[in-house]
Amino acid sequence: MSEQKFARGTSLSIFVSDRREDIGSLVFALLIAIGIVLFVGQ
Amino acid sequence: MVYTKKSPALLIIGVVMLLWGWLNASGNVDGMQQYLQKSAYSDHKQVKEKFDAALSAATDKAAAENKPAPEMKMPHSKFDSAKAFQSKMSYIFGGVAALLGLLIMVWKPKEGNLDYYISIFPGMAYMLLIAFIVRWGLDPIFANWGKAAQPTLGWNFASIFNLNYVVLGIVIGIVIVNVFKIPDWAANGVRTARFFLKTGVILLGALYSATELAQLGAISVLMIGVFVLGSIGVVLYLGRRMNTGNSMTAVLASGVGVCGVSAAVAAAPVVNAKAAEIAYTIGTILVWGVGCMFLFPTVGHLLGMGPVQFGAWAGTGILNSAQVAGAALAFDPHGIETLKVAEIFNITRVLFLPIVVLWLATWYVKHEVGAEKVDLGKVLFAKFPVFVLGFILLFLLSTLGAFTPAGHYQGKYFSSEQIKEDKLLKDKETKAIETELARLKEPAGAKALQDHFAEKAINIGQRHATPEDAYKGLADLIAAKKVTTREQEVLLKAVAKMKGFEANAKKAVEHAGKVAYHSSKTIGAFRDWLAWLFSIGLIGLGMQITMAALKQAGGTPLIIGGVVGTVKAVGSLIVVLLFIKEFV
Repeated sequence: MSEQKFARGTSLSIFVSDRREDIGSLVFALLIAIGIVLFVGQ
Repeated sequence: MVYTKKSPALLIIGVVMLLWGWLNASGNVDGMQQYLQKSAYSDHKQVKEKFDAALSAATDKAAAENKPAPEMKMPHSKFDSAKAFQSKMSYIFGGVAALLGLLIMVWKPKEGNLDYYISIFPGMAYMLLIAFIVRWGLDPIFANWGKAAQPTLGWNFASIFNLNYVVLGIVIGIVIVNVFKIPDWAANGVRTARFFLKTGVILLGALYSATELAQLGAISVLMIGVFVLGSIGVVLYLGRRMNTGNSMTAVLASGVGVCGVSAAVAAAPVVNAKAAEIAYTIGTILVWGVGCMFLFPTVGHLLGMGPVQFGAWAGTGILNSAQVAGAALAFDPHGIETLKVAEIFNITRVLFLPIVVLWLATWYVKHEVGAEKVDLGKVLFAKFPVFVLGFILLFLLSTLGAFTPAGHYQGKYFSSEQIKEDKLLKDKETKAIETELARLKEPAGAKALQDHFAEKAINIGQRHATPEDAYKGLADLIAAKKVTTREQEVLLKAVAKMKGFEANAKKAVEHAGKVAYHSSKTIGAFRDWLAWLFSIGLIGLGMQITMAALKQAGGTPLIIGGVVGTVKAVGSLIVVLLFIKEFV
């Protein structure tokens, strides 16, 4: 993998920076959490 | 640069998934599923037996009354639900993959955002397909093999070596990258692995609640706190001294300090750990834990340790939950006292994870900057892994009871109000308890109870329980036909374990305790989601572990892990021998 060359992101991520990846995963996780609370209930 | 590779791979993956969905829905793979889903299938057989009996009775009744045979539908068993879930997942993801696969075959991509984002899907579908194979195939196969070999080996190798989807996912990834290489069409999508892992770590926060800490004994919290934080401090110090690298050191610290494999996985993205470093940490933890699992019971017997002492030692010194349970059962195969104490210490250790994650994130950022004199606040703001805040947020929400009653642990919680009418104690059961209560109030019974309390030192709240507490607890149970508080449940369960406690009364007390615990569907859903996210993420992570990367990481982590593990095991043994007998 590390030999792969990508014009965007890094060899380990499709995101341009760690911060972007963090925010992306934060948004995705919160969407999942909201979905669980709304659709599964307690 | 154009990223999308013209390849039928995504279409083929989609078709394979759709085919698996259809095979499950049509019942064509029921034989295989019966083997893979053994416990769900045994539930299915019970549901079917009950249904057949009810149908036969209803048919006989209808025949006697000259009415047509009734139409009844068998209720869904766990086996049916598991198959339906596999079908649904396969249809949804298979459908999307097949459609996008067709698009890729006919589309002429041009450089740009659309090409970039479309090119991610084949890799994601590739990891998902492998995740299906690992979670629905390899994981249950190893679980079955582990159980089958248990009578011969005397221990469950699949559980002890943690051969579940976490380890299997990484191993499969390693095999793929080293034996077959990652195909070009999947290369871009495989880079989403860390994103999925981070999302999983955030959701992990929902599984724990700080209120659970209040339920645990003060000594276990204090002792574990000292050892968890102490061993992390030692690893961080040793790692710096031995130039192991900040990310390697931090992952190892989390793994050795908290709860082994899952803590290492949770800490990895926080400190930007390389895949090979995670593999080394997991390897170190598992190998070390297996050694301890065999050594601890022998040392425990040689030193004449009691069940509480041994449980406390194993729960503190051994890193992996399955290995803690294995050591506790090896020490005391017939009683569950040791296992229970070990589990309490184990749970306390896991509950330190949020603190550890925050500590490591800060430590890592600070040390990555190096010796330069910089404003730490500014560096933290710029470099702090923001997703950790999500983990802390979900942990706080879980503690506040946003998802399920606050005092839960991994979704299991106590609630007297939610006990259904048909689960209340029956008259026969309350009578058995009444008779036992009367016996315990007589001189001989009262003395036996007094001795039991003196020997076991049962804690309720922040004090030791007395026989009067037991009398009141049993009387309240008879009156309410259910346990009303968690303290009462803990107390009565301990009382029912005393020698000579009448068997039917014991069963009734245990039943009353069991029905007061409920599983949260919300937390169950969080657990399912994070298991899938971890599964996909870890497979992708495994695909980054080449032999060259493993060689580069070297053997230092094994040495540090071994040294810290030994110090922790010996240190906790001394503390347990000095203090635990009196206080727990």
